[in-house]
Amino acid sequence: MTGIEAILHHNGFGMAAVGVTIVFTALVTLSLIISQLHKLLLVWEERETYINKARRMFSLLGPKEVRRAKNGEKQAKAKYIASIKESSRQFNILIQAMGEPFSLPELIRIAESLGIESPYAAVAHLIEGDLIIPDQKGFYLWNHEAYNSLSKRS
Amino acid sequence: MEMFLDFFSNTGFALADYRNLIMLGIGMLFIYLGIAKDYEPLLLVPIGFGILLGNIPVFKGLGLSIYESNSVLHYLYYGVTQGIYPPLIFMGIGAMTDFSTLLARPVLMLLGAAAQTGIFLTFLGALALGFAPNEAASIGIIGGADGPTAIFLTAKLAKELIGPIAVAAYSYMALVPVIQPPIMRLLTTRKERLIRMEEPRQVSKREKLIFPIIAVLLCCYTAPAALPLLGLLFLGNLLKEAVVTERLAQAARTSVIDTVTILLGMTVGASTQANVFLTSKSIGIFVLGAISFCIATAAGLLFAKIMNLFLKQKINPLLGAAGVSAVPDSARVVQMVGRAEDDTNFLLMHAMAPNVSGVIGSAVGAGILWSFIVG
Repeated sequence: MTGIEAILHHNGFGMAAVGVTIVFTALVTLSLIISQLHKLLLVWEERETYINKARRMFSLLGPKEVRRAKNGEKQAKAKYIASIKESSRQFNILIQAMGEPFSLPELIRIAESLGIESPYAAVAHLIEGDLIIPDQKGFYLWNHEAYNSLSKRS
Repeated sequence: MEMFLDFFSNTGFALADYRNLIMLGIGMLFIYLGIAKDYEPLLLVPIGFGILLGNIPVFKGLGLSIYESNSVLHYLYYGVTQGIYPPLIFMGIGAMTDFSTLLARPVLMLLGAAAQTGIFLTFLGALALGFAPNEAASIGIIGGADGPTAIFLTAKLAKELIGPIAVAAYSYMALVPVIQPPIMRLLTTRKERLIRMEEPRQVSKREKLIFPIIAVLLCCYTAPAALPLLGLLFLGNLLKEAVVTERLAQAARTSVIDTVTILLGMTVGASTQANVFLTSKSIGIFVLGAISFCIATAAGLLFAKIMNLFLKQKINPLLGAAGVSAVPDSARVVQMVGRAEDDTNFLLMHAMAPNVSGVIGSAVGAGILWSFIVG
């Protein structure tokens, strides 16, 4: 059997139409989800702000300006600690794999190759936070004590 | 003297016929194209050498031929016939692939979906030519331009066609730089080829980490039969993005994929014994495979042009050709054709988005065909 007759006999048109539709449905749905993913993540990362906004709406304590300033300060601090914690977690794994002492350019190069976000800024924060300390011989060490105490902070 | 003649009658020289010589020629051509012309050498060299191995006529009963159940080659071929190697290759591909451009511009994923139209149109064409539905599905998947997917589906639906379909799929993948450019030039104007793409946004590490999890759940819930391929593709990608599993990702993208590629290429080549391979069906498969590949390319290009009717920020329709999942060759061809018009227009990064979505699309397409035919 050949030609249209064969296609109809095996329900070819139906299979092809449904097949194309399913492929499109799967990929369109996936593209819709991932097009909104970064927005959802942004909301998640800024959750403190939104929670505080909600609190502010229902709170009656203290003058508005004072509350706003306090909230802003708290948010900035929480955000900074969260970002340091995240970076320190990633760099702790990296440095363990590299071994100590390590060179900063090498650390940044590996971090970049692994796609870690803003490695220069992250390393700068870790140095400021005394998580990465110089060994006085041109290389650097990982401050395990500081890392452990940071990890325990809520 | 009698012993000598008896021995001689069992040698390859006595057992070979003209068809073996033709296949040896094809095997050598593959090796030549791989080494001298640099066309997909990692695939064509093992396949070409496998063709040489498969076309050394052997005395039956000694367990030498790939089709004899007690032969070494037969055990190695088990990974092909049971569909084990293709998912492992997908894991390696996942561990190599950066989905950033796709995450930055998800609309380009539609081009990967559009190119899969070629699979289903060729499926209809093969049915019309008298192929059984399971064979037609295996032939259609060649249009996905994805060797492992084609082998996987054929292993599930039409084992006897693995040789010709694998050779056709890999040949066309190797010939992407030859097949695609004329179609691309024919279906686009110069003005369209000059369109520049805007810079993609920066994608966060967290997005890249979440993507494989969302993608595997969504795609495999939609088309469960795509699970072996997409499951391992996204596992490989998660290993890559997780940082903490860098060692596993490194293994997946180097030793695992390299070992499997050697075994798959060599055994697929060896399965093309002249008496199995040189048939009228194989010729039909090669012709339909080429048509499938061309339709897939054209469908991607035309869909990109249709999208441009609705988009404010136009996309370069050449990107549509990268919807076929020959990664990264079709993306490279897009870059090449784009630069031929304007050598400051860099399309490679943008073309990777439809290219990797083509991989996902063809695996979903294969899963759908598998469930239609078997279900």
